[in-house]
Amino acid sequence: MIIGENIHKSFGDLEVLKGVDLHVKPQEVVVLVGVSGSGKSTLLRCFNFLEMINEGKITIDGHTVNPKKDNLTKIRAEVGMVFQHFNLFPHKTVLENVIEAPITVKKMKKEAAKKLGMELLEKVGLKDKADVYPSKLSGGQKQRVAIARSLAMQPKVMLFDEPTSALDPELVGEVLQVMKQLAEEGMTMVVVTHEMKFAKEVADRIIMIDEGKIIESADPKTFFENPQNERTKQFIQLVE
Amino acid sequence: MPEIFVTVYDVFMRTYPGFLEATVVTLQLTAIGVILGTVIGLIFALMKISGSKILQTIANIYITIIRGTPLIVQIMFLYFGIVEIYTMSNFWAGAIALGVHNGAYIAEIFRGSIQGIDPGQREASMSLGMDRRQTMSRIVFPQALRRSIPPLGNQFIITLKDSSLVYIIGVAEIFSLGNREAAQSYQPFESFLVVALYYLVLVMIFTFLLRLYENKLDVDRA
Repeated sequence: MIIGENIHKSFGDLEVLKGVDLHVKPQEVVVLVGVSGSGKSTLLRCFNFLEMINEGKITIDGHTVNPKKDNLTKIRAEVGMVFQHFNLFPHKTVLENVIEAPITVKKMKKEAAKKLGMELLEKVGLKDKADVYPSKLSGGQKQRVAIARSLAMQPKVMLFDEPTSALDPELVGEVLQVMKQLAEEGMTMVVVTHEMKFAKEVADRIIMIDEGKIIESADPKTFFENPQNERTKQFIQLVE
Repeated sequence: MPEIFVTVYDVFMRTYPGFLEATVVTLQLTAIGVILGTVIGLIFALMKISGSKILQTIANIYITIIRGTPLIVQIMFLYFGIVEIYTMSNFWAGAIALGVHNGAYIAEIFRGSIQGIDPGQREASMSLGMDRRQTMSRIVFPQALRRSIPPLGNQFIITLKDSSLVYIIGVAEIFSLGNREAAQSYQPFESFLVVALYYLVLVMIFTFLLRLYENKLDVDRA
């Protein structure tokens, strides 16, 4: 579904990704872990072309993207992204947030978009909040709206960039629950998170990134019980 | 009652029909100055953030010249400049001068508000597949406009007061009338006190309306 080959990304003199290869299969849930600054969020942002790679190539759903020629806008529409800080549109209601892109990008009729929007809000348990503004919501509710907003574009893959890191501890569960449900429905997902319990339960594969390289890639059981790399062992000890 | 109040009251009562007409002229100058300034300001703000070096340079030159020279010089320059090419009433020459002058300040207000919007808003919009134009017009600009309202209101008040400078090209607005009144009546102190009162009352009314509007915005989207 998403194939990254030999991905290099630098910010000025700082090389953040030093040749990453990652192949995410359809319906697979991949969790990216690593210490902060390891490059895991940058990798995710490259997959959505919010950051442009310096070297290597990215293939999405069989199409190798040429950032210079391709319409990146169209490609981004197929790759959903959920941000750490939600980034809901504060001047729009919850429902308007969800139906904005289907109407402006997909040219969906307003009535059809509203129907879709309400279905998605029901799915994330926020149907009753459709007409309120984001400032009235808790962090967990905001993030669930952000997920619904992303799903409204019917993306082929969903990227989650530390979706629970900005939440109070008691609000983390409701967001993970929605993500778990998505995974069960067969959504292809790449998730950057520090929630090891979620990784253990939901991930098909856990990937450890360290200093811009993939150093471990295994199913959750192997990853936690029998890690190969010394840095991974240290990391697991730290988080458990 | 002290003598001064009596004479000010006399001047006020004698002159108010003329001043009410002049007030309309002042308000028209202000309105045109602000509306034209907003249009010009928006265009130049978009040029400044466009990413095109040429457009940015043009915008910078305009803003530097306007902010670096006195309004009264701009009014004279524009008035005599325009009259050379195209016959125009001094009212319109003054109104356009105010608009061009305001445009530079309003451009900076818009630019600041647009660049002050959290980059996450732009990213979220792009990640949903919206293009640059949609992101600007539907996500970034509406939020920037809301932030621009208090400084725009302030600019409106400045324009109201600055409009007095077009007296120099003979537009019959409040200050110009007061000036004439002072000369004819030999009561300059009372005349200019009345002029000051007109401006003060207008600014107070406008400040009050602006506050009402800002409160309404806060209530709507708190």
